[in-house]
Amino acid sequence: MSKTGIIIRREYFIRVKKKSFLVMTFLGPILIASLWIIPFFLALNSDTQSKVLVVDETLMEKNGIKSSLYLNKFKNDKELIFEYGYDIKEAQDKLNKGEYDAVLEIVSTNDMPPIKGFLFYSENEPSLSAQSTIQSQLSNILKDHVLKYDYGMNEKDLEWFNNPKIGFYSKDIRSGKDSYKEIKTFLAIIAGICIYMFIFMFGAQVMKSVSEEKTSRIVEVLVSSIKPVQLLMGKIVAVGLVGLTQLVLWLVLSVVLIGGLRTVSPQTFSEPQKENITINERVISVDKVGEMTSDSSQVNQVVQGLFSIDYTLVILMFVFYFITGYLLYAALFGAVGALIDVDTDAQQFTLPITIPLIIAMVCFPIVINAPSGGVAFWLSMIPLTSPMVMMMRIPFGVPIWEIATSMGIIILFIIFCMWFAAKIYRTGILMYGKNITYKEIWKWFKYNN
Amino acid sequence: MTIFSTNNISKTYANHKALDKVSINVEKGSIFGLLGPNGAGKTTLIRIINQITAPDEGEIYFMGEKLRSEHVHHIGYLPEERGLYKKMKVGEQAIYLAELKGIKKAEAKKRLEYWFNKFDIYSWWNKKVEELSKGMQQKVQFITTILHEPELLIFDEPFSGFDPINANLLKEEILKLKNNGATIIFSTHNMESVEAICDSIALINKSKKILDGRVDEIKQQFKKNEFEIILSKENDISDFIFDGVKLINKTSDLNFQISTLKIEKGRNADLLSKILQKTDIISYKEILPTMNEIFIDTVSNE
Repeated sequence: MSKTGIIIRREYFIRVKKKSFLVMTFLGPILIASLWIIPFFLALNSDTQSKVLVVDETLMEKNGIKSSLYLNKFKNDKELIFEYGYDIKEAQDKLNKGEYDAVLEIVSTNDMPPIKGFLFYSENEPSLSAQSTIQSQLSNILKDHVLKYDYGMNEKDLEWFNNPKIGFYSKDIRSGKDSYKEIKTFLAIIAGICIYMFIFMFGAQVMKSVSEEKTSRIVEVLVSSIKPVQLLMGKIVAVGLVGLTQLVLWLVLSVVLIGGLRTVSPQTFSEPQKENITINERVISVDKVGEMTSDSSQVNQVVQGLFSIDYTLVILMFVFYFITGYLLYAALFGAVGALIDVDTDAQQFTLPITIPLIIAMVCFPIVINAPSGGVAFWLSMIPLTSPMVMMMRIPFGVPIWEIATSMGIIILFIIFCMWFAAKIYRTGILMYGKNITYKEIWKWFKYNN
Repeated sequence: MTIFSTNNISKTYANHKALDKVSINVEKGSIFGLLGPNGAGKTTLIRIINQITAPDEGEIYFMGEKLRSEHVHHIGYLPEERGLYKKMKVGEQAIYLAELKGIKKAEAKKRLEYWFNKFDIYSWWNKKVEELSKGMQQKVQFITTILHEPELLIFDEPFSGFDPINANLLKEEILKLKNNGATIIFSTHNMESVEAICDSIALINKSKKILDGRVDEIKQQFKKNEFEIILSKENDISDFIFDGVKLINKTSDLNFQISTLKIEKGRNADLLSKILQKTDIISYKEILPTMNEIFIDTVSNE
């Protein structure tokens, strides 16, 4: 076995055999899943409903039938339940007694529009969503009123007018397939975050491992047996393999998990029936689209979208950027590890590396919003951000020349970084008790080892 | 026969010259002391021998050839700053380090069993290094240094961190290695150990070699013609002194008078025969300078 091989073997197995690796392998998917599930549950069990008494002085009782512009027009939802009255004094008493959580007083006029405004009484400041719900419901009621009585629109048309269920279907010009933006967004975010986390977690591991060898001084023994470059490369490769192992295990676990879910609930997660409907038919047949929004068919749509993506390209590119992104940052983190001594401040050296990573993260929304825009384009060319950003663009379709250019740039840049890192590494690991500055590092380039 | 030599090697770092045209010659089967004050350039020279860094100019020869990277298999290095992987098990770690020196796993294991038994540390095999005391770690590290049976061993301050008993054990092992044909380069500040085990030395100061040679020859070279003479207390050395002999020191105890003389002109025999005509000489010996004195003299005269 070559010496680099011996290094790789040790560095790999020492990590894979760790308890923390095992724990992460099993907990990782659960943790990630819980990141998605917990907010969902939190949203379900959010605040209890508030009772709102709508006070409307125009509410009249004729022949035992109450009628008003607003009566029973407010729609109850998860947050708010509406009841109706006309006496503001009585309403305020009830509010004070705690029978209601809030009172909404509507001040009417005889002009058009027939409202001056509204007053909202409650003990607590109403939540932002409650405020906007009330406002929009109020304006809808008024709009309905106008459409119904001034323009004679019937109930059914009104319903459609308020909720015109026009599905948004975009079609890929080149392939003619449906574009499924949501699913691509989802995939892009998963891929981008996955690469980002991987770079951070495993890059930091390379850094930690290098600085541990330096501070424990074993590195001096090691480099008397092998070349420093072999040691660094062996370490980078081994930690990368650990990461890939973890990823593969996660994938296997996920497949097992999904397999399990399919047997529990087969219709939800099964492959969709291929529908032979053209886009035009879909947009016209509004009723059909309306049906599509029911819960199970939404899932169906997601699954269908999942099957519409060019996975070969996505997977190939993911593997490419996953590996190159890691190699690039691992080399830089390795160089930084060699600079850290017991009492040197690691911050000044890690910051220049973490900033591009953070920039890429901060720009995620911009990239997702406009995958072919200027920011997305340039960030996917700059090698320090391209692994994450290009990966986010790929599900949306990127011209081949852009992918090729980005790949070329990152490969060249990796070669440069490896050379750069090796140079810093072999000097840094043997430099003790000296405050290393950027000026000092620059000097290292001037002499040969 | 020379096993290792350097020819005018120089090494300059960004700010200073670490080695300036240093040539050393190490005889096969000898113990070679590499001496010098802190910052003189010893560590740089040792790192060059280990091919951790390369010199800017000059040649290095090992076993009759120019030093090549394969030669690391024939060199063992115990650095001054000891270090092992703290979380790794002792046995596993020793095998790993041996493999990096080109020993097959099974062979490494066999040899380690021998050494671990010899040093009575076999029970530590599955312990993590961090569980061992500092002295225990030193033993493990010593074994990993010599396990691949190198022709050339480099020990940088090997005795630091050892208690007297283990230091002695180590010294014996070093001498045994020498008797088995290994060559040892030994860097230290401890001049007593230099006298005890070194055959020859090189003294480096301010990046230059300022002195080298066999220890006994160097001592001869630095001797000051000083002698210690012990007479019975009834006699006084002053009675015998003639021109050319200088009395440096004189003390008496219950029975003897002990004095130190420097013979500046003439032969000892003249003095001795003069004394012997009158009385007996209880002891007479030449005072050779210690390596410590030579070290301090040479370095401070620079």
